[in-house]
Amino acid sequence: MVLPEFEYKKANSIAEAVALYKGYKGKAKYLAGGTDLVPLVKLRLSAPKAVIDLKGIKELKTISRGDGWLSIGANVTLFDLKNDPAIKGYFPALYESLDATSCETLQMRGTIGGNILQDTRCLEYNQSLQWRTARGFCFKMGGKTCNVVQGAKACFANYCSDNAPALITLSAQAKLAGPKGARTVKLENLFTGDGKKPLALEEGEMLVQIQIPLKKTKGAYEKLRIRDSMDYPLVGVAVSVAGTKARACIGGVGLVPRVYDLKNVNDAAVREAAEKAYAEAKPVANATLTPAYRKKMVGVLLKRAFNKALQEGK
Amino acid sequence: MKTMKVTFQVNSDKVTLQVKPYETLLETLRERLALTGAKEACGMGSCGACTVVVDGIPMRSCLVLTPEVNGAVITTVEGLKQDDRLHPLQEAFMEKGAVQCGFCTSGMIMTAKALLDRNKKPTKKEIITTISSNICRCTGYKKIVEAVEAAAKRT
Repeated sequence: MVLPEFEYKKANSIAEAVALYKGYKGKAKYLAGGTDLVPLVKLRLSAPKAVIDLKGIKELKTISRGDGWLSIGANVTLFDLKNDPAIKGYFPALYESLDATSCETLQMRGTIGGNILQDTRCLEYNQSLQWRTARGFCFKMGGKTCNVVQGAKACFANYCSDNAPALITLSAQAKLAGPKGARTVKLENLFTGDGKKPLALEEGEMLVQIQIPLKKTKGAYEKLRIRDSMDYPLVGVAVSVAGTKARACIGGVGLVPRVYDLKNVNDAAVREAAEKAYAEAKPVANATLTPAYRKKMVGVLLKRAFNKALQEGK
Repeated sequence: MKTMKVTFQVNSDKVTLQVKPYETLLETLRERLALTGAKEACGMGSCGACTVVVDGIPMRSCLVLTPEVNGAVITTVEGLKQDDRLHPLQEAFMEKGAVQCGFCTSGMIMTAKALLDRNKKPTKKEIITTISSNICRCTGYKKIVEAVEAAAKRT
């Protein structure tokens, strides 16, 4: 599929990237690996006047430790991050989610920042312009209906990052920079619940770093997918356990990853969390498996992830 | 729209081109440089038929903008042959019958080449993990994995 016209700019510093963005008056997109952005532009779901390539910015490519935090530059590729010894040793849930992301070749191109900031997905949305025009535009495209759930008042697209749920269980935070300056937010607060604008980023803001408290955890990531390679999660469940406390996070269902905190990890608490997660999950018919099956698997995978995290003594 | 000057090395040649800023590497290779080994199938980064090696990393060239590879070293399937000798992967693919319709083959070979370049003796599991980045719609995966194993023994 042919790309529409846009300009290409390369930035060598965060300040330069933000200045370029301002110059295009909000009509530009930041480009890292491009594995999410380029298909969206090809499908005419995004129409930037320019793309601003961030790959020349050195400080976005480093992984560093200090003050009890592991700081990961947003442009570190998923593959490099997966192979960093700190990840496997300290954060097994993140290691497994990185390993489960797409396929090796795309892990080598896609970045952790881009993976977190990816757009939400829907079978009725990620289609060509001709397809969508014939079907009629939905909420997410600026229309007045949802093409999946008749009469719905809101969008039901799925947030399909494998790694954001894992990072949320690790209490990660995101360092952002933009025209109004820098700020740090808890990763779970990065989601709006609004289909048209699923991420709480200000105009021109970019992700600079992901910071994770450097504490050893046990953990696991379970993913429902049809093929063992490339697929987006149809349900993704991350759990991390530190001492007696644990956190679970469900992704792949709906616009916002759902978080469950367990004060004491034991069989009863896990069962209770699984039941609650099952009850609260509201999948709809916008992915390649039925909503009933995906809903059921939310509870199943949560229990499975806890079993794996605790039994293997990771 | 204004074009951009881009310089990179493709196989043994250094090239300088004026390209559109929204041109993909796949379009540049196929339409400007007549290197038609990399194929367009899905055009969305899902299938891997357009894989080429950029600075040692296998990349879906349909998702890469040509301006992004300014200064890079690119290897395509056409650049694997040395003198008159085919690359061990190419020989193994022929010997093992790892080619059916052939559309995925150059992408498969480039993905496997990047693996063998960074890991001389991959296990069968590692080969399968790597090759699962590419789709063979004829489903001829078994022989493809055998061919990569055979080539790994020869390099």
